[in-house]
Amino acid sequence: MIKLEEVAKVYPDGTEAVKGISFEIQNGEFCVLLGPSGCGKTTTMKMINRLIPITSGKILVDGTDNTKLDVNDLRRGIGYAIQEIGLFPHMTVSENITTVPRLLRWAKGKCRQRAIELLELVGLTPADNFLDKYPAELSGGQRQRVGVARSLGADPPVLLMDEPFGAIDPITRERLQDEFLRIQGEIKKTIAFVTHDINEAIKMGDRIVLIRAGKLVQYDTPAELLSRPKDDFVRDFVGADRALKSLRLMRVKEVMRASPPTVSLEEGLSSVRKQMESVGLKWLMAVDDERFMGWVSWEDLGKGEKVRDIVIPPATTATPNTPLNQALSLMLNSAIGNLGVVDDEERLLGVLTFDCIRNVIVEFQSEGEER
Amino acid sequence: MVGAWEYMVRRPDMLVEWTLQHLWIILISNGIAMVLAVALGIWITGKGREHIADIVLYLAEIIMTIPSLAMFGFLMPLFASLGLKSFGFGVAVVALILYGLLPVLRNTHTAIREVDPAMIEAGRGMGMSELQILTRVKLPLATPVIMAGLRNAVVINIGIAAIAAMIGAGGLGVPIFRGIRNLRMDLIILGAIGVTILAWVADALLGLVERWVTPEGLKRARQR
Repeated sequence: MIKLEEVAKVYPDGTEAVKGISFEIQNGEFCVLLGPSGCGKTTTMKMINRLIPITSGKILVDGTDNTKLDVNDLRRGIGYAIQEIGLFPHMTVSENITTVPRLLRWAKGKCRQRAIELLELVGLTPADNFLDKYPAELSGGQRQRVGVARSLGADPPVLLMDEPFGAIDPITRERLQDEFLRIQGEIKKTIAFVTHDINEAIKMGDRIVLIRAGKLVQYDTPAELLSRPKDDFVRDFVGADRALKSLRLMRVKEVMRASPPTVSLEEGLSSVRKQMESVGLKWLMAVDDERFMGWVSWEDLGKGEKVRDIVIPPATTATPNTPLNQALSLMLNSAIGNLGVVDDEERLLGVLTFDCIRNVIVEFQSEGEER
Repeated sequence: MVGAWEYMVRRPDMLVEWTLQHLWIILISNGIAMVLAVALGIWITGKGREHIADIVLYLAEIIMTIPSLAMFGFLMPLFASLGLKSFGFGVAVVALILYGLLPVLRNTHTAIREVDPAMIEAGRGMGMSELQILTRVKLPLATPVIMAGLRNAVVINIGIAAIAAMIGAGGLGVPIFRGIRNLRMDLIILGAIGVTILAWVADALLGLVERWVTPEGLKRARQR
């Protein structure tokens, strides 16, 4: 967990880069620091691993004040990824990836093993083809993957990423973003990710910290940010109007996920747990004779014997013809953050998750950019 | 020309002796100059030493502009006042150390300063100490440029060392000065050609060394 308390940065010349920002990043959460250039987002991130010294306030990394640790120990325990230019050109891919493990004096064999593992994780396979190459021999996209692999070198619980996909062509960037989301699904790191690209923020973030002129404007999920922007700045910056307009034009049935994962009310919770693990979700939908009865949440699995004991009835549902902008605001009221889609007789047809909507928005906004 | 050839055939021992003396002076003086210049070059590149760097580089440049004859002229009385032998090898070596500083110093300074800040920040961000950043990132990247400076310094000094024969330091300047005094063109040519060949060979060899110490990854980057 990363916790910032009233963090401020004032440079000797009096410039206030960061003016008292507080927020928390939960374990396993992907947090995007978003804002226009010069807003203080990068400064905020760099104060976490003390690349920039803090002026006042406090930063806790896993409960420990980060100024209490030796600065190099602190940094070796936090993954750090920047644009591809940060790779060391005189080191091989393997040497680059094992920079931190070598600083920590891991044995040679263990370092090599780790390099192979990480190359496979970021999709540079077969690893043998890449281990002894130099950055100059790789494409931009491959270098970026090595950069990500390097930040994961010693398997740190926390990652700081400074526009890691910034210097890459849009098509490759998109592919890297998708892959990184897949990787994050596996490794579940606590991430602070800096970007000025709203599409990237909506696509990647579990939560977004929107910063403007050194102040935190809004800290919310992408859905909240889009549908309930705090002020005009947020509305303009995230393009909420355009995004919502795009949603108004579409209906739930166009983007919903048909055949969602379901369980029956009488199902035992131990088998439900297994089912959740196998589909990789923290929730399932309870049905009774095809009728949607409510949500089963991972957190409640210990609270009863059968699905019936712990099911959370749906606060609200959507129909296939509900416009997406309405669906989004309904979704924000739902306990699980998803929306069940049912027909007139309450029969379950599908589920609308924020990912479904996210894709529409990101697609729409990037089309807008191309025009 | 013919005379020079005949002399060389007649007294190869003399030619070998002068060449070895010449090489020895260069080896000692450039060796010491290299160590001093790299150390000084690293130090002046440190944070907050920009003004010191300017001054040091300026001084080193002034030294380069002092004619070698004048340099020997300054050093001889200085050595004498310190109670040291005021002519010969010692004076020559000190003069050549001074001349050998600038090319290496300037190249070290420039090369380290030009290392991409993103790379230094990457190193720092991953928990390298300042010393580790120097030895694992800055120096490997700066090596080819520092070596180019050394190569430059050696070639310059091989020329200047010929003049050191005038203060009794030996070397390939000996036949040149002897030829001037006695109007023996063959000796002048012999010394001049010797110095030229020596400089040329040293340049070629150091070129090989330069390539050898250049990190493999940088070579491959250049091939692209």
